[in-house]
Amino acid sequence: MITRSVGPNRRRNDRIWNAVAWVVMLALALPAFWIIMTAFRPNSEVNTFPPVWIPQRLTLEAYANMFGLNPEVQQRVAVEAYLRNSLLASGISTIVAVSLGTLAGYAFARFRFRFHTGLFLGIMLSRAVPGVALSLPLFLLFNRAGLVNNVLGLALVYVAVNIPFTAWLMDGFFRQIPQELTESAYIDGCGYWSAFWRIELPLSLPGLATAAIFAFLAAWNEFQIVSVLARNNAAKTFPPGLFAFTEQFTVDWRGMAAMSVIMMVPAVIFVILVQRNLVSGLTFGAVKG
Amino acid sequence: MTINRPGKTKDEAPQQAARSNRLEAGTFPYMLILPSIAVILLVVGFPLLYSLYVSFTPYELLRPNSLNFTLGKALRNYEKLLNDAIFWRSLGNTIIFLAISVNLSYLLSLALSQLLARVTAGQSILRTLLMVPMMFAPILVGMQFRWFFNASVGLVNNFLYSLGLIQAQGQIAWLVDVPLGMFSIIVASVWMNIPVLTIILLAGTLSLPAETFEAAEVDGASGWQKFRFITFPLLAPFSYIALTIMSLDIARAFDIVRIMTDGGPAHRTEMLWTYITRLSIENTKFGLGSAMSWVTVSLSVLFTLYFFRQLVKARIVR
Amino acid sequence: MLIRRLFFVILALALLITVAAAQDEPQYAGLDMDLSGITIKMANIGGGTYEAMYESIPIFEEATGATVEIVALLDGFAIDQKLKVDFATGAADYDVAWDHTSFVAQYTPFLLPLQDHFSEEELAPFSPAILDAATIDGNLYLIPRHADISPIHYRKDLYEDEAIAAAYMDATGEALEVPTTLEQIDHQARFFVENGHSTYGYTLAGRDEALNGRFYEMVFASGGAMFDENWEPVFNDEIGVAVAEMLHGWYRDGIIPADTTSLVWDGVAAYFCNGDTAIKLEWYGWYAYFQDPNNCPAISENFGLARGFTGLSLGGDAVRPSGWAGAHAFSVPATAPNPQAGIQLIKFLSSERVAYEEAQLGYLPTRDDVWDRVIDDAAASDRSLDRERLELAKLQVAEDFKTPPLIAEWIPFSNILYPKVQAIMLGDIGAQEGLDQAAAETRELMADAGYYD
Repeated sequence: MITRSVGPNRRRNDRIWNAVAWVVMLALALPAFWIIMTAFRPNSEVNTFPPVWIPQRLTLEAYANMFGLNPEVQQRVAVEAYLRNSLLASGISTIVAVSLGTLAGYAFARFRFRFHTGLFLGIMLSRAVPGVALSLPLFLLFNRAGLVNNVLGLALVYVAVNIPFTAWLMDGFFRQIPQELTESAYIDGCGYWSAFWRIELPLSLPGLATAAIFAFLAAWNEFQIVSVLARNNAAKTFPPGLFAFTEQFTVDWRGMAAMSVIMMVPAVIFVILVQRNLVSGLTFGAVKG
Repeated sequence: MTINRPGKTKDEAPQQAARSNRLEAGTFPYMLILPSIAVILLVVGFPLLYSLYVSFTPYELLRPNSLNFTLGKALRNYEKLLNDAIFWRSLGNTIIFLAISVNLSYLLSLALSQLLARVTAGQSILRTLLMVPMMFAPILVGMQFRWFFNASVGLVNNFLYSLGLIQAQGQIAWLVDVPLGMFSIIVASVWMNIPVLTIILLAGTLSLPAETFEAAEVDGASGWQKFRFITFPLLAPFSYIALTIMSLDIARAFDIVRIMTDGGPAHRTEMLWTYITRLSIENTKFGLGSAMSWVTVSLSVLFTLYFFRQLVKARIVR
Repeated sequence: MLIRRLFFVILALALLITVAAAQDEPQYAGLDMDLSGITIKMANIGGGTYEAMYESIPIFEEATGATVEIVALLDGFAIDQKLKVDFATGAADYDVAWDHTSFVAQYTPFLLPLQDHFSEEELAPFSPAILDAATIDGNLYLIPRHADISPIHYRKDLYEDEAIAAAYMDATGEALEVPTTLEQIDHQARFFVENGHSTYGYTLAGRDEALNGRFYEMVFASGGAMFDENWEPVFNDEIGVAVAEMLHGWYRDGIIPADTTSLVWDGVAAYFCNGDTAIKLEWYGWYAYFQDPNNCPAISENFGLARGFTGLSLGGDAVRPSGWAGAHAFSVPATAPNPQAGIQLIKFLSSERVAYEEAQLGYLPTRDDVWDRVIDDAAASDRSLDRERLELAKLQVAEDFKTPPLIAEWIPFSNILYPKVQAIMLGDIGAQEGLDQAAAETRELMADAGYYD
């Protein structure tokens, strides 16, 4: 812990630091606040100059337009399709990636074998390949396999994208679990697999949750690959859907804000859920096992 | 980067012990890793090899016959790139962007983490506020800041106008002028990077042993001295984790650039990512685009490799 | 009194039209073939009012016995990407595909020439200028659906204020009239801005192919061109340089918005909608939006339309009205499994009746017979501009319609030229030097594509 200055000034100092921290953090969060508020304001207050700072009235118009409830507006957005595809691609890929990545992470944490470091590094570096470099060759190859414009094809890609980070996180988690437990299991006649399944995996559940959330959000937010692989609403997820929307209506800032709010919902839920795990989950890699 | 190499805090013995704790288990670990490797080879390895091959051909998407390899012309695309002023400009822009964005994100996060570590009231609310930018997909970050920096109805200009600092609508074209365009993109990317970096550095700061600081206080060290000579070096492994995570995801900045300026105007904010997309998809010159992709892949991999190596060296031994 | 008289006039007109229409109903076409058991696949543009047309397809299915399956409904940009990729991978297994005059040249190796499948009589109603734009190397590759061309939009109040007109006369020695030339626009736009009558004098799209098109338009209206007959780039001649310099001057002096280089269509439209800009070229499609006081209180009922400007006078006799244009259309892929059935479907969708129904949504027709009908219909409107705009549009389509060069390299070429025009506009580089560089790069592009072999 950082120790604080002792003496009569301490209280005043603390108050100043607290105030500074509050101001800075509120400034950091301000853009999000502004986006959410904009989603519920009438367009005449959003697109106007001089600016109207304080909302005069709140409205659900942006959402009515988006869901096609307003007969006067043509710009219906296929939110249902994007939601379905986003959930499917992110959900399936998260389950598979976390399963495979956990196995790999366990192998790296527990066992000695040839090419240990090389394989670990290789897996990690595959994550560093930028989506733009991958999207078009993937498209041409997937096209032959019938995986283009296909949510399952997309999920397959996200599995590969999410394995490295999962493996890394889980490697860190497993290394934190005291090995005595496992060793006594071996003595009791457990095989490697049942020791993993019955003892270590249940202990690593908090880590698993963190890894799953990171994987889900990475897939949920991915843009570069899906924008090439998805050809229409059969496979388009939120990011390319939102992108197409803003390309068509480049100055509909309120519509953009409204769709952002919808897209942020899972992220908000997850971040609140794992707030505590997040910190420990991300720093386990700092420790050598 | 201005990070001190950490001093070795513990002797080598436990490290070796830790290593020998790992078990020999024949082919079992390979079986565990195999599915992961298979998926990665299929989805990342194979396409990359394919694009390497394509980068040696003059392939254009709408000319299927152009996908043929001739030894004499194999390096044509790379030659073209070397002579392409816009390629060099986009490479330069990318490096400038990464250098400023990574360093600035790190320094600000370091400062924020020290600030948050001192807070005595409302810790949990402040941490929730800290995580707000994490809730935004990179594409949303791009859209949000494109709007904020919009010249005619953007938040920033509106704010300056209300403060009386500018007199008319659209007076400052944030996304157009040099160096404001680059500045705006950097602001957006730093905003996006801050939460994860700060969380890690904050966790690191809170885990530092109190005795060390007490000893330093007895010696009469100032706050800055304590930070400079104790906190900062001890944070090294956490710094490298943070930077490694950031470098893995650095290409996410593409989404931001694509949306805020798409490399424009007049290539002022052109980066490797935007230029690749323009070349290979819009201009259908997939061969040339692939050559450039390989430059980008190499850059990203080297970047990550560097931080990763540092991380492995700096890991705390327990 | 007046209102009542007007009411009767309108009523009489409406009656007249109803009677006329009853005598001369627009007809369907392409229903005269038995296509029982055939499934026609169609990849088409979707979204917004584009899809209304497809509601007539059941009539076709009933009459011919065919089944129509729509395999893709995408926006224009996405369908272009889809076609490119499908053609590249041999995956175009549909019989009818969306097409556009600005895009068709990229696809020609993969499309079926249509001239032998349409009789002269069937093609006669289509505007000749548009059919020209649909013909490459003597082959007709697409059948037009509806057209796009831009008239001048201007804020009426600026031209009706006598004080402004007098001040303008004092300042320039010219009468303040709705502009017909690019030089008039230059003078007026500058005058409006310098005297505070309008925030901006002119607005144009400043990025992507949109900027390229607007630049192209100013150049050809001034008698210049992008390429000569040997496909050598010539936009760096004195006309191109003069246009580029004018754009730079506008940017430097605040005649156009500071964020011009970020603007595409709706950004440009927003500046007009807010009443911030005095003059600009704009597509007809925005008309209803601008007239709606809920969207644009500043200019609703307060703007006028005029034919495209003629270019800079240094072009001499070669100057002509602006009219960068294009048309949405239908094509048949060369790999279509049922090309004959696809052609029948196109005949139906481009028939007078279907085209008329689509034109009623506000799109500009490509058939002269449909033009007459929508103009007659508009005569019933109590807003004279509703009628005038159609007459103007018909004139523009007939006389000023000019597509970009119909070459596959148009988009890659755009990606070379527009950033240079931006750089010139922003003052990063001189006009001559920037255009020379773009010309050199363009030459390389064209050489690589085999134009000079």
